[in-house]
Amino acid sequence: MAKTTHFGYKEVDVEKKQGLVKGVFDSVAGKYDLMNDVMSMGTHRLWKNYTISSSNVKEGDHVLDIAGGTGDLAIKFRKKVGPEGKVILSDINGSMLLEGRKNLLNHGVIDVDFVQANAESLPFEDNTFDCVSIAFGLRNVTHKDAALKQMHRVLKKGGTLLILEFSKVENKTLEKIYDLYSFNLIPKFGEFFANDEDSYQYLAESIRKHPDQETLKNMVLDAGFEFCEYHNLTGGIVALHKAIKA
Amino acid sequence: MFRLTIEKSLNHLINANNIDLTHIDNKIVSFRVDEIDLTLFFLCLNSRIFVIDNQQNKKVDVSVTLSKASFLAIFKGASLEELVENEEIEINGSVNTAQQLANLLSSSSIDIEELISQYAGDIVAHQIGQAFRQIKKASVGNDGSIINTIKDEITTALIAPSRSKIFKGRA
Repeated sequence: MAKTTHFGYKEVDVEKKQGLVKGVFDSVAGKYDLMNDVMSMGTHRLWKNYTISSSNVKEGDHVLDIAGGTGDLAIKFRKKVGPEGKVILSDINGSMLLEGRKNLLNHGVIDVDFVQANAESLPFEDNTFDCVSIAFGLRNVTHKDAALKQMHRVLKKGGTLLILEFSKVENKTLEKIYDLYSFNLIPKFGEFFANDEDSYQYLAESIRKHPDQETLKNMVLDAGFEFCEYHNLTGGIVALHKAIKA
Repeated sequence: MFRLTIEKSLNHLINANNIDLTHIDNKIVSFRVDEIDLTLFFLCLNSRIFVIDNQQNKKVDVSVTLSKASFLAIFKGASLEELVENEEIEINGSVNTAQQLANLLSSSSIDIEELISQYAGDIVAHQIGQAFRQIKKASVGNDGSIINTIKDEITTALIAPSRSKIFKGRA
């Protein structure tokens, strides 16, 4: 019997998930930034700023932004690493990379490298990066354990991993409001703004299937990181896991 | 946010002045301030400092236990050796390593008093919240009257003050 995994609330063959996720992001790529602003009411920018603040990145550093999509983090990292540093924006999805390239050009950022790569098999040498980030991408990865091990592998000793991802809301009342919002309004926003209700239904479902804060922390530690802690943002709607390779 | 602020300030200082950290590389130094229930773990790796919570209980190379006043004094440049001689702090491990970190802390532009007041404020808020939850929980078990439960709680508090009140009395 074929192994299965979740795709939102649906159980699908493991081999099929990657293609299905690709379909979602091919569909939403053009409206990705607009939808992020609409869905989070702009808050995603604060979450990303907090991530950058926590990164400990300095001039001359090498940074890999996985599932970097439209390049929000890459633009900010680029400023921090200075002319001696290096930023690579990677994404498994070609459409998202294309949007990222456009977005960076619009911001006047030209010195970022683009690599189309699967997080489960990163095409980089061991101990290459001072910081690896993945924002709102890990929940779409089929084999998260494998991806986390790869992130550990490509980080230098003393390198930092940052995972910004939707998580488990701490407060029960907020959780109810959030459920109502994400299952009723988000798909409707998707239909209205991007003419795509199904993709945004998947996004809402995939958030609920993603490991909670403690589970993800243990997965990160199991991948080989010596230190990992998380910070809940907006009541746990989003959590930032910060891990260090020692 | 408390740890992040310290971490950012230290790393800004290190980068701006190109400070060499090889002497404390790969070491964990902890500062424990009992009065405000604060422990900071400083990990030095990859030419930068991480201020962590060390939930993973990794072995600490140097641990410093001190009062709030001594902690503040370190940020104003107090010598650890002098503080040890005056029995104001306790150090397990290399005093030299701890002093290197203390030098960084004192050279930084961290407004530690402001940070601590915010941190202590959080603790007070937490204690108030906890007391309220206890009252709410206890009232369900009693006759259901919150007023009676509050009276009981006040009586208990007067008879057996909490740890924070004892500390306040000593200061």
